[in-house]
Amino acid sequence: MASPCEVLCEIDTADEARRLTELVAAEAWRIEDKFSRYLPANIINRINEANGKPVEVDPETSQLIDFSTTLHEISAGRFDITSGVLRRVWHFDGSDNIPTKTAVRKVMEQVGWGRVTWDSPLLHMPPGMEIDLGGIGKEYAVDRVATMLREATTASCLVNFGGDLVAVRKPCLRNAWKVGVEAVHASNTNAEKLLNLQVGALATSGDARRFLIRDGVRYSHILDPKTGWPVPDAPRSITVAADTCTQAGMFSTLAMLEGARAEAFLDVQEVRYWCYRGNDPGGRKIGVVT
Amino acid sequence: MSNKDCNRSIAAALTAATCTLLGTSAVEPVQAQEEPGWDFNTALLYYGEDNDRVQDLSLNILSRRVFVDDRYLSLGLTVDALTGATPNGALPQSVPQTFTQPSGRRTYTTTPGEFPIDDTFRDSRVAVTAAWEQPLGRLFAINIGASASSEFDYTHLGLNAKISRDFNKRNTTVSAGLAFAQDELDPVGGAVMGLTQMPVAVDDDDDGDGDGRNRGPAEDKDVLDVVFGVTQVVSRNLLMQFNYSYSDSSGYLNDPYKILSVVDGTSGDPVPIAQVPGVDGPSHLYLFEHRPDSREKHSLYTQGKYYMDGKVLDLSYRYMTDDWEIDSHTVDLRLRWPLGSRSYLEPHLRFYTQTAAEFYRMSLIDGDPLPEYASADYRLGDFDAMTAGLKYGWKTSGGNDMSVRLELYQQSGNVSPDQLIGNQVGRDNYPDLNAVIFQFGYQFGK
Repeated sequence: MASPCEVLCEIDTADEARRLTELVAAEAWRIEDKFSRYLPANIINRINEANGKPVEVDPETSQLIDFSTTLHEISAGRFDITSGVLRRVWHFDGSDNIPTKTAVRKVMEQVGWGRVTWDSPLLHMPPGMEIDLGGIGKEYAVDRVATMLREATTASCLVNFGGDLVAVRKPCLRNAWKVGVEAVHASNTNAEKLLNLQVGALATSGDARRFLIRDGVRYSHILDPKTGWPVPDAPRSITVAADTCTQAGMFSTLAMLEGARAEAFLDVQEVRYWCYRGNDPGGRKIGVVT
Repeated sequence: MSNKDCNRSIAAALTAATCTLLGTSAVEPVQAQEEPGWDFNTALLYYGEDNDRVQDLSLNILSRRVFVDDRYLSLGLTVDALTGATPNGALPQSVPQTFTQPSGRRTYTTTPGEFPIDDTFRDSRVAVTAAWEQPLGRLFAINIGASASSEFDYTHLGLNAKISRDFNKRNTTVSAGLAFAQDELDPVGGAVMGLTQMPVAVDDDDDGDGDGRNRGPAEDKDVLDVVFGVTQVVSRNLLMQFNYSYSDSSGYLNDPYKILSVVDGTSGDPVPIAQVPGVDGPSHLYLFEHRPDSREKHSLYTQGKYYMDGKVLDLSYRYMTDDWEIDSHTVDLRLRWPLGSRSYLEPHLRFYTQTAAEFYRMSLIDGDPLPEYASADYRLGDFDAMTAGLKYGWKTSGGNDMSVRLELYQQSGNVSPDQLIGNQVGRDNYPDLNAVIFQFGYQFGK
């Protein structure tokens, strides 16, 4: 998952803790092994190396691709699992290393879910294109683990995979799980906002440390698959609360892609969110919609 | 389709897609709130007694800061502006009565037939509190606090601490608390000595302390409070609390502004005193009250909060007994009735009854030996009181809480017939009291 993963449980015995941890770890590794685009010989690798040939996928992959297709539709093309190849020209390392328009245009020829023929379970992708389920994999893993814990124990648990998290059942030993949301500042002074999570999920999109600056213009690492360029005026980070981590993660991702309209987009979704813009605490915006 | 509908259909499509992906439909709906840095609970309260008695305008601000790991800092500020006074303890008379003011320099005269009140009284009060609360280990929690208040003639300093422990999967909480207060009274004109005669008004040295005959320096009062409590979650709907508390006050417990009329043993009328020409002084014989210098109280308190279908019934009862022979019973009933999801109504009823202090008396009889202790303060008499009120609270569009509360208070005393002498029979001897309370509350986070 490329980030620290933890599970907090309200249980009494070390044996029980070990049992649940092993359960969680096994599922997390399974998903990582199966869907990471960095690992060889998994289903993603087979799809990306198919070189124009159709690939038959298993039911779980099929469901994830179905889900991605729905998101592509409802986001009018802004959510696209084929957009990962844009990383070939965009390197968000805080420098002024902006790619040329020609380079972006060239790599954009390999982007677009509309060019892919998806007829479950057969995926037929033109040569050179790649898919990447990284945009939903972590949230999916958190929800899968949460579902397993819901069956495996009656205790309250908090699943936290690198800041995407789910509270399974209300805690008994405290009012709520306290979750600190970082407002990551460029100056590296982290201001925390404390959230009380009783039950449900929180997911965060955005990373204020990943950006490019040229001629005073700040380019966020949120790329618009329709243009190949960073979404202008995207917030530094958005945290969304929802029933499941997948929903929370998709709301925050879709809001990011809305750029300047991120808050307006979330306001009509009737979700609670915390949106950070700017470096100084006065410049960040926090919205709560009940 | 409008833009809003379009966006809302995104939420619906996302929910449906997520259900299909995860194969789960019934997960609990999310509950997440931002923990505000500071919570402010503010209230503006007006308390007004009828017949030009006490009026109080009070501003309360209680702020609470939440830190990680369930640690809290609370800071409170109260500012009161008081005017008017309570009856001074003298009996009403069919002729005007003249009294020396507490300063000892001037007099005031009251209307025949009315309970004598020194209506020149003004005071303001500022009180501050601070408390720190935090868990201690997994099951214990402690709370330590300090309080201070200052008004013209009274200073209070207090310290308190409480420890609690959870049992039984946190369904039971047992707590013990200790509070200590040291108060200083520096009444206008000095602290009077009990059962001494109200002096004539003398304004010769302009030092504001009268002629000093029966006045001492500032006096102290110490109060120790101990409380033991149990809070029990009885069921999903019922929360019960039981407290025992002990309070020990010692030091100067007199009200330095309260007096008793000295009356004729046959007629029951206050005894007039001959006026020296050129000297302003009391028209009748009055003695300052005198209370014991210690008081021990025991009280038992129980409260039940019952949740039923959105409504919360809060019923409590307190029994108090002390070594001044005051026994009191208080029943308090509130019902919080939601009106939709954003507002509620809360009717409130409170009944109170107490027996008189053993040394409470209407008056002192001329010629009789003086009792050790005596007070005609109506607050130490036998009386019943009732409060009836209604509160309306609502959530503002910004998510803050506002409320208004209106309450009426009525207190009426019972004077036992064997205390009444001569003309006192048939007179109104206990100053009944009606008061109105209005409060505006605003709670917000920052």
